[in-house]
Amino acid sequence: MKKEFSTIGKHIIREDGWEKVTGQAKYGDDFNFPNQLFGVPVRVPAVHAKINHIDYSEIISDPDLIAVCNCSDIPGSAKIGPIRKDQPIFCSERVVTSGDVLSLLVGPSREKLLQLREHIRIDYEPLPILSDPSKALEDDAVLIHPEFKTNLIVHYPLRKGDIEKGFQQSDEVIEQTYTTQCIEHAYVEPEVVIAIPMGKHKGIKIIGSIQNPYTARRIVASVLNWPLTKVRIIQAELGGSFGGKDDTMNILAARAAMAALKTGRPVKICYDREDSILESYKRHPYVMHYKVGFSRNGKIRAMKIDILADGGGYASMSPFVTWRSVVQATGPYEIDHVWTDVRAVYTNNPYTGAMRGFGSPQPIFANESLMDEIAIRTNKTPDEVRRINALRQNSITASGQKLTSHDVNLVTVLDRAVEETGFSKKWRSNHTASCGPHTLSTGSEGNGDDASKLILKENDFIASSDLFKKGIGLAVSYRGCSLGAEGVDAAAAYLSVQPDGSAYLVSGLAENGQGLRTTFSMIAAEVLGLSVADIYYLEQDTGVIPDSGPTVASRSTLMGGAAVKEAAEIVRKRLEKVLMDHWNTTGAAEFNFSDHHVYATGPPNQRIRFPELCEMAFQKGISLAALGWYAGPRVDWDEETGQGPAYFTYVYGCQVAEVRVNIGTGEVYVDRIVAVHDPGKVLNLLGAHGQVFGGVTQGAGYGLWEQINSLSGQIQELNFDQYLIPTSNDIGEIVPIFIEGRDKYGPWGAKSLGEPTLELTAAAIANAVRNATGRRFFNLPLNLEEIMLGRKLINKTAMRGSHV
Amino acid sequence: MKFSTIKFELNGKPVEIEVPPAMRLLDILRETFKLTGTKEGCGIGECGACTVLLNGQAVASCLLLAGQLEGTKITTIEGLVHDERMNLLQRNFLECGAVQCGFCTPGMLLSAYALLQKDARPTTDDIKNAIAGNLCRCTGYKQIIQAIQKSTESLSDPDQ
Amino acid sequence: MIQDIDFYRPGSLEELLTFLKDHGSNVKIIAGGTDIVPGLRQKASRFSHVKTLADIQHLHELKTIEISDGHLSIGSCATFSQIEANALIRKHFPLLSCAAGLIGSTQIRNRATIAGNVVNNAPCADSVPPLLVYDAIVCVRSHREDYTVPLNELLLKPYQTRLNADEVLTGFRLPVLADGYRGEFYKLGRRRGVSISRISLAVLMQLQGGSIQDFRVASGAITPVSVRLSGIEEYARDRKAGSELFAQLAQQLGNEIIKITGMRWSTPYKLPVVQQMFYQILMKLNDESVTG
Repeated sequence: MKKEFSTIGKHIIREDGWEKVTGQAKYGDDFNFPNQLFGVPVRVPAVHAKINHIDYSEIISDPDLIAVCNCSDIPGSAKIGPIRKDQPIFCSERVVTSGDVLSLLVGPSREKLLQLREHIRIDYEPLPILSDPSKALEDDAVLIHPEFKTNLIVHYPLRKGDIEKGFQQSDEVIEQTYTTQCIEHAYVEPEVVIAIPMGKHKGIKIIGSIQNPYTARRIVASVLNWPLTKVRIIQAELGGSFGGKDDTMNILAARAAMAALKTGRPVKICYDREDSILESYKRHPYVMHYKVGFSRNGKIRAMKIDILADGGGYASMSPFVTWRSVVQATGPYEIDHVWTDVRAVYTNNPYTGAMRGFGSPQPIFANESLMDEIAIRTNKTPDEVRRINALRQNSITASGQKLTSHDVNLVTVLDRAVEETGFSKKWRSNHTASCGPHTLSTGSEGNGDDASKLILKENDFIASSDLFKKGIGLAVSYRGCSLGAEGVDAAAAYLSVQPDGSAYLVSGLAENGQGLRTTFSMIAAEVLGLSVADIYYLEQDTGVIPDSGPTVASRSTLMGGAAVKEAAEIVRKRLEKVLMDHWNTTGAAEFNFSDHHVYATGPPNQRIRFPELCEMAFQKGISLAALGWYAGPRVDWDEETGQGPAYFTYVYGCQVAEVRVNIGTGEVYVDRIVAVHDPGKVLNLLGAHGQVFGGVTQGAGYGLWEQINSLSGQIQELNFDQYLIPTSNDIGEIVPIFIEGRDKYGPWGAKSLGEPTLELTAAAIANAVRNATGRRFFNLPLNLEEIMLGRKLINKTAMRGSHV
Repeated sequence: MKFSTIKFELNGKPVEIEVPPAMRLLDILRETFKLTGTKEGCGIGECGACTVLLNGQAVASCLLLAGQLEGTKITTIEGLVHDERMNLLQRNFLECGAVQCGFCTPGMLLSAYALLQKDARPTTDDIKNAIAGNLCRCTGYKQIIQAIQKSTESLSDPDQ
Repeated sequence: MIQDIDFYRPGSLEELLTFLKDHGSNVKIIAGGTDIVPGLRQKASRFSHVKTLADIQHLHELKTIEISDGHLSIGSCATFSQIEANALIRKHFPLLSCAAGLIGSTQIRNRATIAGNVVNNAPCADSVPPLLVYDAIVCVRSHREDYTVPLNELLLKPYQTRLNADEVLTGFRLPVLADGYRGEFYKLGRRRGVSISRISLAVLMQLQGGSIQDFRVASGAITPVSVRLSGIEEYARDRKAGSELFAQLAQQLGNEIIKITGMRWSTPYKLPVVQQMFYQILMKLNDESVTG
């Protein structure tokens, strides 16, 4: 019998909402402690340099300086990293990126410390700077970390079928290189952490804007050389993260902890925006070379992919990020012959790590651009060519995985998006129009100093009716849920129902603003027939609940949600047992928990108020507290061949972008995006819509404007006057549509949504711009210069206005 | 460092402080008055997280210096806890899903409030313009715009 | 650090002038502070001499907006929100109110003043091109003298004007135009909301019987300092409006700009685009005047 949900799938208001709308919610910087000191980082104005000497003599006796912490204060691990331990907590002999930190000044006034910092003298020798990742593997390339003897961080091959045979079978071949840019997470809250020493036996308490409290705990404990139990991490309300408050925060937490232990006082490190953009990691820029062979009928025969990711100065999450790329690089298509190589390399650029999308937006931009080119070559519409190649039920993926355990809804989401937007007709008519006169007038692009070529010719002037060109474009994707063969995949939740029927809930995954507390409360409420208001969600504290891995990879609903459901079901079973005794029923009785009551659905046809039942259980000495634990099913990966069941389940999405391009200026107006996603069962509809609106908007910023330019490793955009994220005025209508595919995993089949919403948007916009202008753009972002000139222009000389 | 005595009205109450005259209003609110609902996101007036009302108008408190406060009226999110119009906006923000991480929310609410004080029936474009200086990275703004729209409808409904 | 900076709050303009006489060289006049405060925070070299900020935004005499003797007077401390909303400016100087509405965000417009925008003299200052085409005259006062000067003579180079340290820009005077002018303020930014101008143009055109009587154009963000492009203006006068002339004018605009700036990093993008959009503006103004 299919049960009607009472809470799941409904519009539910955020559990933590009222604190947030009244300004009462406490973010990292809103915590202050008596006797608190501040920590300010010391950097060298260089990107790659050998440090000879740091002279603090001018400030060392200043009463506003209580301590200087540096690498000599570290009792445990001096370098950390999720895979490779290559990132120092404090640099000592060398810096390799512009954000690197040498030491921490500690004192009672942040302002004073910033002044004192100006008087430190650093003797350093600049080293050659490696800023071009494509040169990182050359024989004479400068080594960023000489101890590894190469700048290669990781190389993932994937081999399926016989690639040469595949190309022989093809009627046509397209080869193309695509690039994507470095971008910043741009959470509105910069990083903050406070470490509070708790006395000799109790260790240290750390409060901060920390995305992954357990990772932070592991890092801090290893740096201090302490047992995990003596490091307690409490997550403050998090002002946005998007994958960005992981490594950076772990390092800041370790620095704050060291300073707190050295001074015996609470130490707060709060970054301003410039610090944040300078030091935090970014999204990987990719250079992607694709070669695809296909038949005249549009069927792809072979795909050869070579991807190079710029890891920047430290390995960080590069091995995980690029692994997702190698799994998904072909896009969601069934291709017999695949040959993929993905490499990540060190450079002196800002280091790159986890960001919402995590290695998928880049190859999606490439492979979805390519799919449209195949469509045009084979005289089909983009949706037709995708239908011909799409993964379907029981299809085999590039890594040789057969998709059986869930609804493979790729074609379903595609069809729905196409129907919703009237795609094919619009696409054909725009395509025809784009082949006519007055498309982009970029023929007059200036070369070198020849300005005369930049003066428009008579026929370059566009009739006003032709100024705007309309375009429509689509992109599809599949995405492996959770961590996959990246790592251990399990999560915990603790539910404690009180004698009055209210309940405490907490999970080992973290609220990063996405609404996890609300969704988890809904799951517990659904199982027990309660309302969300009956659930009190406890603050995230590593001392309370087992390590559940990181809150990443759109895994919290799937993994943590399943753990919550498990905990609630354990308690429910115990309550049912109490009722069976109480009502003298046999084992066959069925119970319905709803509206704060429990009903026996068969004989004896009785009901009881939920609080009454809880009180009864309490009086009988029955525990109503339970730990739910959910471990993902086994996944596997062969490092040599790139074959194996990479993820235990997948989600599918299709986005259609409708744009107008001003062909006189290169402005792209995103008028409408229809986002059709199969995230499995939608638990929290309001939250799910929010994920789509937010993800699409971030994806549009990625597609159109956002870019961190590092000139010889120096970041040019250090604040929001230069780094432009979308405002309320920038993106048109967004239409979220959900197809709820069935899955045996996840709570009621709920899977992932946060990242799928973002990964498609730039690719869909790029295809729409192609449709509008008749020109293909190979390099993100599609900013004004890219559209008009087909290349980026970079200001290498001038200072930012406000610096003049 | 020199200090000045500055008198102004904060959340409806007269206050007098002794601070360096070039101290930012944002720091005065957060440090002197412990009003931490006003947030710092950029420090250069670009993100809107520090938005407060100066004589009823939305301004960036990171760009206002103590010396400029003499005789002004400053209102923060904490000062409008019992304000009917603000309460309506707050409820609608929650009902429409306009809040995710919440860091931009106080500033966003104050920009919306200032708009509605000036014009009870703004167009959608007016709403978008009024909050264009409040960056939000989570929501894509759609549910925020919807929440403000809903608040104008309720306000202009005489039965409410 | 910014906290060490002194603050002076004059009771009147006269008081300020006396103060500037004695301390002018280390004093920066502040009103909205929307350029100065970020600049101080980022240690901008143009503020490195500043020891004292003299606040003038509370001086009511500097906020008036009124029309008398065929001139609009705008006080230096009028904010862009005031200017955008002001009915007189909307009616008689629509390019200025349009530019005011496109500057920064609501929060910035509520604080930023027109004199601040002009004195800061960033290449992208949006109020300057409209003020130039409206032949704005700047009113300056000091303890020594009061004088007026045409705006174009005040602007020296990016982030610098000819104002002396003891002088205060008190306001602007704009002659009300004769009938028959149409105009447009055009701004191109990287995004739609809250953007810094990549290109801006202010254009005024007076047509009679299909021929151009008066023509004025000023650049923003494409020249180091906003300028009136007098060569183009003179060429256009008494010629027949239409696509042929407009294309010529646009090409001349391109040539004039390249003469001023030479090849800069942004030229390959900006130069073709400014010609194209200038042409588009002229076509639109012409169409409007035909359809009435």
